[in-house]
Amino acid sequence: MHDIIRQLAEKRAAACLGGGQKRIDSQHSKGKLAARERIELLLDSGSFEEWDMFKEHRCNDFGMAEQSVPGDGVVIGCGTINGRLMFVFSQDFTVFGGSLSEAHAEKICKVMDHAIKVGAPVIGLNDSGGARIQEGVASLAGYADVFQRNVLASGVVPQISLIMGPCAGGAVYSPSMTDFIFMVKDSSYMFVTGPEVVKTVTHEDVTAEELGGAVTHTSKSGVADLAFENDVEALMMVRRFISFLPSNNREKPPRLPSQDPADRLDFSLDTLVPDNANKPYNIKELIIKVADDGDFFELQREYAKNIVIGFARMDGSTVGIVANQPLVLAGCLDIKSSIKAARFVRYCDAFNIPVVTFVDVPGFMPGTAQEYGGIIKHGAKLLYAYAECTVPKITVITRKAYGGAYDVMASKHLRGDVNFAWPSAEIAVMGPKGAVEIIFREEKGDPAKLAAREAEYKAKFANPFVAGARGFIDDVIMPNETRKRICRSLAMLRNKQLENPWRKHGNIPL
Amino acid sequence: MFKKILIANRGEIACRVMKSAKKMGIQTVAVHSEADKDSMHVLMADEAVCIGPAASKESYLVIDKIIAACRQTGAEAVHPGYGFLSENEEFSRRLEENGIIFIGPKHYSVAAMGDKIASKKLAMEARVNTIPGYNAEITDAAAAVQIARDIGYPVMIKASAGGGGKGLRVAFNDKEAFEGFEACRNEARNSFGDDRVFIEKFVEGPHHIEIQVIADSFGNTVYLLERECSIQRRHQKVLEEAPSPFIDDSIRRAMGEQAVALAKAVNYQSAGTVEFVVGSDKSFYFLEMNTRLQVEHPVTEMITGVDLVELMIRVAAGEKLPFTQDDIKPNGWAIECRINAEDPFRGFLPSVGRLVKYRPPATSDGQVRVDTGVFEGGEISMYYDSMIAKLICHGATREQAIGRMRDALNAFVIRGIDSNIPFQAALMQNPRFLSGIFTTSFIADEFPNGFVAADVVHDDPGLLAAVAAFGRRRYIDRAVQVSGQMAGHQRQVGSEWVVQMEGKDYAVVVTPIPGGYSVTYGNDRYDLVSNWRFGELVFQGTCNGAPLCLQLERIGLLYRVVHFGKQVKATVMTAKAARMLALMPKKVPPDLSKFLLSPMPGLLREVAVEAGQEVAAGEKLAVIEAMKMENVLKAERDCKVKKVVAIAGESLSVDQVIIEFE
Repeated sequence: MHDIIRQLAEKRAAACLGGGQKRIDSQHSKGKLAARERIELLLDSGSFEEWDMFKEHRCNDFGMAEQSVPGDGVVIGCGTINGRLMFVFSQDFTVFGGSLSEAHAEKICKVMDHAIKVGAPVIGLNDSGGARIQEGVASLAGYADVFQRNVLASGVVPQISLIMGPCAGGAVYSPSMTDFIFMVKDSSYMFVTGPEVVKTVTHEDVTAEELGGAVTHTSKSGVADLAFENDVEALMMVRRFISFLPSNNREKPPRLPSQDPADRLDFSLDTLVPDNANKPYNIKELIIKVADDGDFFELQREYAKNIVIGFARMDGSTVGIVANQPLVLAGCLDIKSSIKAARFVRYCDAFNIPVVTFVDVPGFMPGTAQEYGGIIKHGAKLLYAYAECTVPKITVITRKAYGGAYDVMASKHLRGDVNFAWPSAEIAVMGPKGAVEIIFREEKGDPAKLAAREAEYKAKFANPFVAGARGFIDDVIMPNETRKRICRSLAMLRNKQLENPWRKHGNIPL
Repeated sequence: MFKKILIANRGEIACRVMKSAKKMGIQTVAVHSEADKDSMHVLMADEAVCIGPAASKESYLVIDKIIAACRQTGAEAVHPGYGFLSENEEFSRRLEENGIIFIGPKHYSVAAMGDKIASKKLAMEARVNTIPGYNAEITDAAAAVQIARDIGYPVMIKASAGGGGKGLRVAFNDKEAFEGFEACRNEARNSFGDDRVFIEKFVEGPHHIEIQVIADSFGNTVYLLERECSIQRRHQKVLEEAPSPFIDDSIRRAMGEQAVALAKAVNYQSAGTVEFVVGSDKSFYFLEMNTRLQVEHPVTEMITGVDLVELMIRVAAGEKLPFTQDDIKPNGWAIECRINAEDPFRGFLPSVGRLVKYRPPATSDGQVRVDTGVFEGGEISMYYDSMIAKLICHGATREQAIGRMRDALNAFVIRGIDSNIPFQAALMQNPRFLSGIFTTSFIADEFPNGFVAADVVHDDPGLLAAVAAFGRRRYIDRAVQVSGQMAGHQRQVGSEWVVQMEGKDYAVVVTPIPGGYSVTYGNDRYDLVSNWRFGELVFQGTCNGAPLCLQLERIGLLYRVVHFGKQVKATVMTAKAARMLALMPKKVPPDLSKFLLSPMPGLLREVAVEAGQEVAAGEKLAVIEAMKMENVLKAERDCKVKKVVAIAGESLSVDQVIIEFE
């Protein structure tokens, strides 16, 4: 018996070293942490329980039979973040370059199956060279098994991917189907085909970093949500991030006791919107000033900056925030921003997170680039997302709400529960200048007359009262009381029940 | 007494004047430009009149518009504040012609003192000490050089109509005299519409000390002691104090009596200031008389107990001074810090924009006073002066006043724009400032390469580390209260942490105590108690029982602590995490040397180079106009222009690329 216990201790010690100290040192020299070190930082100290530590691959080809490492390149198990249950897998680059074998995939599937069963988030730490080529189709099958579970878990438990090394080829499709992707600058990249293939096929010269690095995916492609400076920052920020999310789709989002008074007024908001309708302002100031403790966890902040998305808490409970950003492209909706916000709204809806929308939108972006790019279909995604969404929806129009974009941005007509407007709100088909140029086309040659018409249009529509008269706006509120009114509305809506008609699934314009 | 007065000014001084008027039961009228329509002085006034567009030349400086505003509102008198029309002889004369009382000296006194050359002659006649210099008009730069040679370098070149350091140059040789004269004349023409310039001897080891006088229409003239204004940056006062740590009673009296003699010589009625330059040998010379209320008047008010604005109003209304010279006894010490919208770490470049947060420290009667002209959510525009507030602290001794100033600066929160608070806080720690021995070259001597963060040294970095640990621990203690935890598997929060700050590791032990945490670092123990919470920037509490005020906030993973002008960003982690962080690569910031970036927000007046052009170090690249000042950007080294990115006439933001180099 003693012998067995000693053996166990030895096996454990060996397994914990993964591909060996030398490879761990090499990993460190690349500025990367080892798989188990990452888990230690991610989870509450001492809370990790590892499974399948001794699992090995079953491949006998190409000399693989002689090379077997317990764990087979991925560490799995469960633990807690601030006492909340989490499932984790962490690919170990020191073992066969973190490549995915059949056994490796089975381990990932195991944690995912558990997560779906008990309703807890899955956090994947990706650091893998790709498929275990020696295993051939068995490895590909392993990928597909993971993909299938990603889809089944989607909308059931939160899935978070941290890309902390290479992630190329088919491997990218697992993270891409999770809810959030975070990357580490300079040490992670994602692409379907690498720089060498790109060079052969399209003759483009591009580095891995340019093709699929953290900066590329957070600013150009929008594939990833945030880029962090290093492993430590990424892991610690994910801890903070997960505190906003419920554990599954049957739970309300977690509550964090708030010392920030729900009825706090902020008079500086009364001067946030400039008098000049063409002068921009930073919508994030509003978000930060209404959120609990000024704490706003923004996602995709470098991508489609004309819309802002992220999580905050109001009176202790998580809300998803969507806001047009007048600082960028006047806050208009275009292809990228519509997709960015649509996916976020659908996430909130899937996980019972109320959506708070701040509207200052002059309309959809015009132009051939947008039309050829399919703005009709992509813009419809945001419309669809808001319309199908059944969680509490609170909307505050701060300034412009023009045209179709007004309808899209969580308007009353899309089952907005509480729709507020600031006194500076202008709800109309378009801006006064454009409107009079169409309505009074025949007076085009007479600028004085046109100016008078414009003033007339402005007086009539450049205010929240026309919409208010029809009940499309529930109340016109002072900017300083925005937090108080949102918190009250959220409290009122806490037990909101609304169901869409039964169907297998809707057909969102993908 | 007047029933209604108009304040022909903006910002903090307009608010300051209204405060006294309100106390006296007088109604107030504000005038404002279009850019200022939501300003604090407009909100404070009983009535407000818009007098034109943002540019002061078209609003605050237009006499007709002020007179019209008086007519429209029935204001009987006008207080001009400082700057703008406060020392404009025509203004006070025109008001008089229109039957409106000017709350300030009579126009002849303004005229007599408004011209530096004439005022010097007057001073000599009144037996006031004056500096050797040239007292006639100078025709051109060549003549200026000759005069400068006659007096002997170094010389000072000044605009006759100038004030507050505007249009002032010191020349040490012919070349500087030539260029200084030209520049001075241009600036004088643009700023004051009067291009006369004069030259005089530059006193070495100089102190700038000024005497406050107040006179009524019955011939009573009293001096309200002195103000020490030697702490200046490029001839602009930065902080002022009263009394001066440099002079003694006999000099004080001699200066005061000369100031009174000068005031009497021009039949002065109202508050005025006689500026002296005092050499290192304590010889003093008359510089100029400011025939208006000074920015730094509050330090005089704090130590004498008088309300200068009230006195100005009473004297203008024909009342007698309620005291005589014998009644004026100094009480303690007062210091004023000017709070400017500028970035001390970028060569004090003006900073404009929205005041996202603005929380001045709590005031307390007779101890801490804040004269402010802005509010949270307000806008600092590029059209006017960068001073947004004044912080004045009083104490029984200089040490006590400085102590209160330190605390007050610690609590002063400004966000959205940059402010000089870190610089002021650093001055409050500066040994030479504390010693009281300094001249007008103090800032140039102490900060020869500008102000950099490394200039600020904190004598107890362990405290800053402890505060960062406090912030982290308070965050964790809240985070572990999140709902939905696995029963019996709560997070075990350890007590051993590592604070990484300025390249140094502080291994600390953090244990909860009632209302806070006890943090030990080596042999030092900091018992920190505060109800600080996230989202609040000011940490008010105690450390080992003694009051402690500083600023603490979380930015991403970092905790930012600001205390006594020292600003640190610290990470707080478990020892294990800190070890892992040490493995992470140190990243070098991107190379921006290939670009000319806009150092400030402003208007791009001119791009002096074009693509492909070779440029030598020191050559002019571009000109940016901000806060009425033209800033010339020069090449730091020889280079070739690759591309001109920004276009002349464009509004630039900070760090916007103007030119790309090869």
